[in-house]
Amino acid sequence: MRGNMKKLPTIILAIILTILFLTPAQGREISLRILYVNDFHGFAEPYRPPGSQEKLGGVAYLAGEVKRLRQEKPTLLLAAGDMIQGHSWANLFQGKSSIALMNLMRFDAMVVGNHEFDFGQDVLKKRIAEARFPVLGANVEGFKNGLKPYVIKDIQGLKVAIIGVVTPDTPQATHPRNVAGLKFLPPATALEKYLPELKKHADLVIVLSHIGYQADRELAAKVPGIGVIVGGHSHTKLLEPAVVGDTIIVQAWEHAKALGVLDLQVEDGKIKNFSGHLEMIKPSQGREDKAVRSLVKKYAARVNAVLGEKIGEAALDLDGEHVRVRETNLGDLLADIFRQAAGASAVIINGGGIRAGIPKGTITVKDIYSVLPFDNYLVAIKLTGKQIREALEHGVSGLEEGAGRFPQVSGLSFTYSRRAPAGSRVKEISIGGQPLDPRKEYVVATNDFMAAGGDGYQVFGEALKSSRDYDCIGGMLKGEKLVYNDAGRWLRDVVIDYLRQQKTVAPQVDGRIKQID
Amino acid sequence: MRVYVNNKPVELLPGMTVKHALLKAGLLGQIEAGRKAYDEWGNEVGLAGALSADMKIYVR
Repeated sequence: MRGNMKKLPTIILAIILTILFLTPAQGREISLRILYVNDFHGFAEPYRPPGSQEKLGGVAYLAGEVKRLRQEKPTLLLAAGDMIQGHSWANLFQGKSSIALMNLMRFDAMVVGNHEFDFGQDVLKKRIAEARFPVLGANVEGFKNGLKPYVIKDIQGLKVAIIGVVTPDTPQATHPRNVAGLKFLPPATALEKYLPELKKHADLVIVLSHIGYQADRELAAKVPGIGVIVGGHSHTKLLEPAVVGDTIIVQAWEHAKALGVLDLQVEDGKIKNFSGHLEMIKPSQGREDKAVRSLVKKYAARVNAVLGEKIGEAALDLDGEHVRVRETNLGDLLADIFRQAAGASAVIINGGGIRAGIPKGTITVKDIYSVLPFDNYLVAIKLTGKQIREALEHGVSGLEEGAGRFPQVSGLSFTYSRRAPAGSRVKEISIGGQPLDPRKEYVVATNDFMAAGGDGYQVFGEALKSSRDYDCIGGMLKGEKLVYNDAGRWLRDVVIDYLRQQKTVAPQVDGRIKQID
Repeated sequence: MRVYVNNKPVELLPGMTVKHALLKAGLLGQIEAGRKAYDEWGNEVGLAGALSADMKIYVR
């Protein structure tokens, strides 16, 4: 008898819990907290963004906030994409560090972002297999054994469906091989397909979206029945939730600098009340999650180890000092590597993008990071011969001040006169061993900085504007002038991969750029 | 892709970001000087934020 009395509180508690969990959500008001991040891009440690006086972010601090906020009410922790690619902390491990972090933080679900495809489908499948949470992508067709369209979570009897959609622009912003065999449907099409099914099994529908804030607003206006859109892709700092129709839209900026908090009161499947804000994340003594801090430091130490890795040998000094005033062997080597990677006829890159040389001897990963420290990627655009001449003229127009626009080239050679006035310095140009034809089109590779007008190069943008189908389909170029565009692979990684294969390099200045007087 | 920076059109490649738009518009240096980029709804946007066709960005 005494033994049974001792068990009575436990029995009563069990009965109460059973009632709570078995009672349908109907007629009960349930509080649900949604914590969300987006576009982490591997920015694990605090950093000082351009224009900021202080360091912001630090995922260990963000994790500390998650822990505190999770204790207060039933919570879902969601990631709206672009988590595994970007900063070296993620890139050097092809996102394995990011997934380990998200497992440690116990994320409930993630949608793929466009950059999740940047390491290729095989790597993405590995990352998905490592994840202890579902990775969603309802509008991605053809990705076998990996992406789920949705997941349904039970929060104290409230059935919450989380469905993921990613931007259909993904194929245009990554290497074609990364998305081979895949089809990216319009997000609204995927939602219209799944929503009827979700409505039968869930009280509340959350769209975990990586399509950008503008597209989130359009989606909310077009597709009824969505309770919340947790967004990403546009790196929007939505300080408070927005509302379009009956849909709440949120987004938490970027790079672990903010944690989104959305509190919902849900009754009979309807959101009766809500409030939301962004917790700004920055280093603050005592606020870190210790386990996450250890993980961050562990991978940071591995970054240093990878940076020290030997990848090749320079048989002679590689000149990074004179890249703004003349052809150098390092400029030639880099331009040759980029031409091969892009499959282009020629390359024109700015000498100013080459920030260091490499002495004869061992080449490490860190050396290449010093040579190419900027997060630039490779593009290739069709230029006419006339436009190539304009580009080269611009490149040699700042000789006197050693301007960064001085070109390093591959696949073409040219002569110029320093004495001639700027704009009329370039004399003979050969491409592929033949005299340049001003009316012929050539595929010219460059970096995104120059393609966007960096260092004053206008010709790449002008070439795109002149494309016959430039304004076709909402202003998106469909490839008439754009030949190569790998926004997910930095130039330094292209070079590192080349050196790992090649092992030894011994480039010589071979007279591509000749000053004649 | 065409976007607008301080109401002026700029043309960019697919996959380019807010940073490229500001670079093209000659306004990237203003960010280092402490100004920020905002969307048409007044929300600050990160420099690595994706663009969409006809998006409006304001630097202030």
